[in-house]
Amino acid sequence: MKVAGLGTSDAGRRYQPATLSSAFGITFKMMFREEWRQNVDFAKKRHILMFPALLAIVTMVLIVGIKFLVGDGVADVEGLEDQRRAFTWDELKFALHLPLFMFSLGMGSFAFLGRVMVSQRGSGLNYLLASPALQPIPQSTNHFAYWVKEVCFYLMLILMPVSVGMSLGILLEVFFELETPLLWTSIPITMFAMGLTLAEGLAVSFLASALWTRGKSWSRIVPFLAVLAGVFVLGGWVDFDSFILGYSFQLNHSLWIGLLAVILIPVLAWLGAVSVADDFEQQVSERKELLSPIYSRLSFLGNGTLRLLVAKEFVDLIRSGTIKKMIVSYTVPLLVLLALAWLVDFTDSPIPVNLLTYAPFLGFFGFNFYSWLTGIDSPEFMNGIPATVPQLIRAKVVTYFLTTTWISILFLILMAWKLDSFAMLPVALIVMIANSIYIVCLTAFLMGLRPNKAIFDASIMIWFWVGTVIPLLVLFLLSFSQGDTSFYDNWVTQVGQNGLDAEAVAFDNERMQKGFTGILTISILLIGGGWFLMKLLDRRWKHAPFNN
Amino acid sequence: MKNECGLAGAGVELFDTADRELLVRVADVGKRFGDFVALHPLNVKVYSGEFFGVFGPNGAGKSTFIKLLTGQLKPTMGQVEVLGIDVIQDPQMVKANIGIVPESESPPSYLTPVEFLQFVARLRGLDDTEKRINYWIDWFGITDKRDTMCKDLSKGQRQKVMLASAFIHEPRVLFLDEPFANLDPIYQRKCRTHLLDMVANGGTIFMCSHVLEVAERLCTRLAIIDHGRVLAAGTISELKSNSDENLEDVFIRLVGHSIEESVSEEE
Repeated sequence: MKVAGLGTSDAGRRYQPATLSSAFGITFKMMFREEWRQNVDFAKKRHILMFPALLAIVTMVLIVGIKFLVGDGVADVEGLEDQRRAFTWDELKFALHLPLFMFSLGMGSFAFLGRVMVSQRGSGLNYLLASPALQPIPQSTNHFAYWVKEVCFYLMLILMPVSVGMSLGILLEVFFELETPLLWTSIPITMFAMGLTLAEGLAVSFLASALWTRGKSWSRIVPFLAVLAGVFVLGGWVDFDSFILGYSFQLNHSLWIGLLAVILIPVLAWLGAVSVADDFEQQVSERKELLSPIYSRLSFLGNGTLRLLVAKEFVDLIRSGTIKKMIVSYTVPLLVLLALAWLVDFTDSPIPVNLLTYAPFLGFFGFNFYSWLTGIDSPEFMNGIPATVPQLIRAKVVTYFLTTTWISILFLILMAWKLDSFAMLPVALIVMIANSIYIVCLTAFLMGLRPNKAIFDASIMIWFWVGTVIPLLVLFLLSFSQGDTSFYDNWVTQVGQNGLDAEAVAFDNERMQKGFTGILTISILLIGGGWFLMKLLDRRWKHAPFNN
Repeated sequence: MKNECGLAGAGVELFDTADRELLVRVADVGKRFGDFVALHPLNVKVYSGEFFGVFGPNGAGKSTFIKLLTGQLKPTMGQVEVLGIDVIQDPQMVKANIGIVPESESPPSYLTPVEFLQFVARLRGLDDTEKRINYWIDWFGITDKRDTMCKDLSKGQRQKVMLASAFIHEPRVLFLDEPFANLDPIYQRKCRTHLLDMVANGGTIFMCSHVLEVAERLCTRLAIIDHGRVLAAGTISELKSNSDENLEDVFIRLVGHSIEESVSEEE
């Protein structure tokens, strides 16, 4: 078959640009496919399926434990104090919708994303969100399809597993006589309400970002409205549920609210879509020189290649904006840990959890951070310069410590304050730092410059899990032996009174002494292990090419 | 200062516009990015059956020029019409009726060539999409890569997919920015022949490049630009100051001079 030759399109007719009705279907379909492949590419199938599975299991556990949260499980509570330790159903609904709304607000700034994709479309990776630059499709249709795709993707990835988890939680009651106050009829209502909250957060954020990108007075109006809304809600003049329609629906079970939300939320998203400007400029940005100033600040690293490479890593981190994203992504799990510490403390858990229990986990997040560090820029240009892969890996490890240690320390102090265990803080700091050093060094040693790809290599992952889980678990269990903080108080008192002449602390019991010795010994071993792994880097990665 | 590179003037006797349709009209178009003048106001007219080339050194403003003509950038001043459609007022209508191949843009990374061409064909409301897709995939010799994600294709293969997406609706006007940069010699020749056929049948090509060999082989008229200004425009023979001079000599005479000027201005 031969198609007509070029230059013939005008012979019969003039093509018309795509409209919403003609372009939405194919755009949505291709965007969904693109999103799926992008996720699979990042995490491969088993990994992307692991996240929904994990979510379903966590939901199931929560459903089983929900009776304790709402107080049904503590029917035999005696005092008012215990009753106060239970939540009301409305509080639980609030706790469900608020984080979901905040999450969707954070994920919905598609107009910003569109700008980034348009301005970076010549950089190698290209996405359909940038297609209006070349194809006859309006920005509005393209961005609206993107919003619908995002809603569907999150429904599939988050809400469906949650509903499966809820169902499993109720089924456990049938098979194992584990009582839950949740009813089968709650599932569709909760799912619908959560879907509305998610879609609304994405739509509001989308609209705000689209208005913001129009510049001029819009970029002042948007933060003004956001602050105004916050003041009204926090001031108690407007109820929170007036803003979040999904929450309102779940509180009132009103069909009208549901109907209103189903109409209003897509209208908000459409307003966002038509507000996206037809701006396809690929911005050329000039920046002040950063490398030399950063290099001069790193004098404590000596004058070798390491100092130069660390300076380059910092320039990449700052210029790419990754440093902000990384700090946020590092802070979020720490906040979750802090919330967990508060919750455990709040519910008077029978497990003797204390500051030392959390300290090793702070170090564990180093894996994520190191992965980000390896993905900012392609290191292939370094194949032509006299540097080696182990040198670059060491530079990334140093950059990791310089960037994150202060956050971990801050969080540990916060946690010590929240748990009222300042006396435990020095030991907890040692444990946290030892774990950070060891886990990042282990990640760097095993995975080199390609941690995102190495996680699909079973042999590497087995070593990684053995290498991390065993010390982490031992430290975790040993921390339970330190439940009584009088030991640390004693230590603080001794140092306070006698300074460097402090005498050996009198241990109250042998178990605690052994636990303490064990924790410190493991921490020292971990630091030694980290140092040893850094020494072994040359052996493992010396001849590897620069490639991520 | 206005730069004229229309057909008015010396080129008339060598390039007859009598029966030709005006397909691209650029009137006093200029572009600034903040304080930086990317393009000084210029005027261009391109007719049916023309292979018009814009040549210049790196950073001369060639890609900016092509983006202004295809609705990817809004000019700071002036008017642009393509196929009689106002590009500033109705960029969608222009994009629906032209083909664009940018210099460095790839097809969407996570789609396969077939999927991307399906997307383009359906957006453009084409008939016989499968036949067209199969034809161009086969024409560019990437049948074995039809189901490979574009991010995993070589640069040359991605360029072929971009060219196929610009050819699939058989547009009357094509805007190409360094179209042969990543193609092997066989497909360079195949594309050149095809584009010349298109021009012979009344189509129009507007191409940016810095490869002068391409200009000598293909262009009916060309403009040489640098620092956002048109230094010279016309047919190749018009640009040559004498018969011994080749296009490279012309280019170095014009652009080399302009670079020396800018260096001495900076000093």
